[in-house]
Amino acid sequence: MVEALIGDEAFIRGCAAIGASLAVGLSGIGAGIAESGIGAAAVGATAEDREFFGLGILFTVIPETIVIFGLVVSFMLIFAM
Amino acid sequence: MFSGTKTAYAYIVARTRVMKSRLLKPEDYKKMLNMSFDEIVRFLEETEYKKEIDAVAYKYTGPRLLDYALYANLAKTYRKIYQVSFGEVKDLIGEYFARWDLWNIINIIRGKMANVNPEIIEETLVPAGQFSEAELKSMLTKEMGEIVKSLEHTPYYNVLSKIGSIPMYKIEDELYKAYYSKLLKISAERIETKLFLNFIKMEIDIKNVKTLLRLKESGESTEEIIDCIIPGGYELTEDEIRKLASLSYEELLKSLEDYWFSKALEKFESLSEAEVNFDRLWIETIAKRASNYPLSILPVLQYIVLKKVEVDDLRILGWGKWFNFSNEEIEKQMVII
Repeated sequence: MVEALIGDEAFIRGCAAIGASLAVGLSGIGAGIAESGIGAAAVGATAEDREFFGLGILFTVIPETIVIFGLVVSFMLIFAM
Repeated sequence: MFSGTKTAYAYIVARTRVMKSRLLKPEDYKKMLNMSFDEIVRFLEETEYKKEIDAVAYKYTGPRLLDYALYANLAKTYRKIYQVSFGEVKDLIGEYFARWDLWNIINIIRGKMANVNPEIIEETLVPAGQFSEAELKSMLTKEMGEIVKSLEHTPYYNVLSKIGSIPMYKIEDELYKAYYSKLLKISAERIETKLFLNFIKMEIDIKNVKTLLRLKESGESTEEIIDCIIPGGYELTEDEIRKLASLSYEELLKSLEDYWFSKALEKFESLSEAEVNFDRLWIETIAKRASNYPLSILPVLQYIVLKKVEVDDLRILGWGKWFNFSNEEIEKQMVII
């Protein structure tokens, strides 16, 4: 019934948009959860010794790679269609 | 929302790990062993203890200077750990630090009994527990009865109300029993609190086995030994201790081979050496457990114990050097890991 109303191409584009949003959104949430612990530890170590600031930042952004994967998938979904 | 507890642990564990890296190293002790007392104080003035040594240097000299400075630094460090932690971990640390309340209460009571000047009593206090510095100072101005009355809301009141009717060493024993019994009432439903409780139970084991050996060596009766034992150990339950206390000293040493702390009894010449072995084993055990559970209270407790050991070692070193003990004799008493 949905296909009858919006047509094949529009349906696929819609699904791809939902997929892209899920890829970015869920990977963002995952990275956030991972970063909460690392960030807390980085802030703790930096509070004691400022030399840990750079290393702390580096470790904190490592889970961001998951978001980059999500972003790449979402770009592929949106622009490769 | 997802990992609030883990975040609290991650923060305080990272902080205490950095603090741990600033503790004195075994090579520092080796260096200090070859120094005179004054050189040791000068060496410590280049470490974390500088501020505290400078603060009391105008008032004291000799090992008393070192004592006051070390305890002031210990109190400052412990207060900091409590203040910067949050959530469940803060509650657990607070409960653990309540032992310093006992230390302070006992010092105040003993000082009052011996009519010591309140200023001198004040300098022995380590305000790292639940009583603030102001509360402790106000206790110093009170009479004994008023002090006991002011502690009515604490679990120590029942014991303290017996002051005068039983000897002070029994009061001290009872206070520590009340402290540990309060700790053991913490619910062990979650892994974090279970680890904390196991740590406490193992600590009780170490304390009990030391008491057991000391009292047995001095020929105390089974009932006298049981009276001094803290209930709630990890492997040394009350029944086990009752059984062990009825054995002869040689049989007791043989029977202790089956427990988790038996390694400490493998090689020792005197009981004081065995006690140092127990402390060393305890620290190694905590270190192992802390690395197995890095996101728990164990790394924090490890630092808390190591800091206390450092302060004790420096006191032994200071007093030993002041009274011209040999380096070997001093080193034997120290717990260097």
